[in-house]
Amino acid sequence: MKRLLPSLRAKKRYLAFELISEAPVSRNDLIKEVMFSASSLIGDVTASECDIKVLGFEDSKGIAQCSHAKVKETRASLATLTWVNGKRATVHILGTSGTIKRATEKFLRNHTTFEPELKVNFKKAGEL
Amino acid sequence: MGKPKFYDFCIHAVPDGENTAEQLAALSRHLGYSGIALTNHSDKLPLSQPVLPSTNEFEIFRGVELAEENPSKLHGLIGKFRKFVDVLIVHGGSETVNRAALENPKVDILNHPAFAKSSGLNQVLAKAAADNDVAIGLTIRPLLHSRGQRRVRLLSDLRANLDLARKYDVPLVLSSDAMSCFDLRSPMEILALAEICGLEEDEALEAITIVPEIIISRNRPGPGYIREGIEVIEEGDYF
Repeated sequence: MKRLLPSLRAKKRYLAFELISEAPVSRNDLIKEVMFSASSLIGDVTASECDIKVLGFEDSKGIAQCSHAKVKETRASLATLTWVNGKRATVHILGTSGTIKRATEKFLRNHTTFEPELKVNFKKAGEL
Repeated sequence: MGKPKFYDFCIHAVPDGENTAEQLAALSRHLGYSGIALTNHSDKLPLSQPVLPSTNEFEIFRGVELAEENPSKLHGLIGKFRKFVDVLIVHGGSETVNRAALENPKVDILNHPAFAKSSGLNQVLAKAAADNDVAIGLTIRPLLHSRGQRRVRLLSDLRANLDLARKYDVPLVLSSDAMSCFDLRSPMEILALAEICGLEEDEALEAITIVPEIIISRNRPGPGYIREGIEVIEEGDYF
């Protein structure tokens, strides 16, 4: 099928994010959880308008895509993510950009994921 | 205009929450806050030394969240704590407690005012809150952790309180009410969530930047402070 003209394609924003979590999380689990929290917060209709996709996710850092007019809704629904595959997790959005290249260069290249000694302490908290 | 300073005024550290004050402070600093207040539920006076040394970019305020059912005991606790904390929050949840908190000008914030089938506020209480400058706390944690019916209920209570707050000009404070590191969200995310939940952009921004600053400046008077409205700006030999 012929590809859409660039001027006809939907405009997008790319959100660079880091995932702060108890344990490493796989991309598939994350995608499932992102879609679930989006549709439960803003509803299936708005979620479809947002066009949320998790493009790449590696080493707790990743890029998500959304419609350029729905950045706020996307941010909010990513914020409501609390658990991924039974592990506690938080999405922290580092910044938004109009291209994947710029988002990667600006926000992900020199970013070290926040790594407090959460994992150790969580085990202790569970024992108490 | 410089970058706004964001504050989170309701964070629970150990023993209320799961993480230590150091971890919560490190993470909220990483997320972009300029200051947090540690507000554990307690009826004992906090230690007099600061939790962590504060720097120019990041400050930890001492706070407390009072959960007391009896209004006269609550007033007693408020009087006892006021001198020692920067942020005094009352955990609402019944008509008498809400009323006692909103009618006491020493209280800074009333959190969780909702109770059975009521959003917790009405025109009388909203007016009292505006007169006594008690802010209504909008907490994020319940919104994050509930789904479906419970969240619908929370959101409609929030909207009802928001309408009253707008009408009577009651200050609002957005806070995370975090019990652990994973309940913290960055200021931008909290703003986005607040806007989805019905706040206007400027209202949400004010609730996380200006209102907390006003609370702190009210409770930490400068060296020349004499009483409300009277302040020695410059020392000098006037007489």
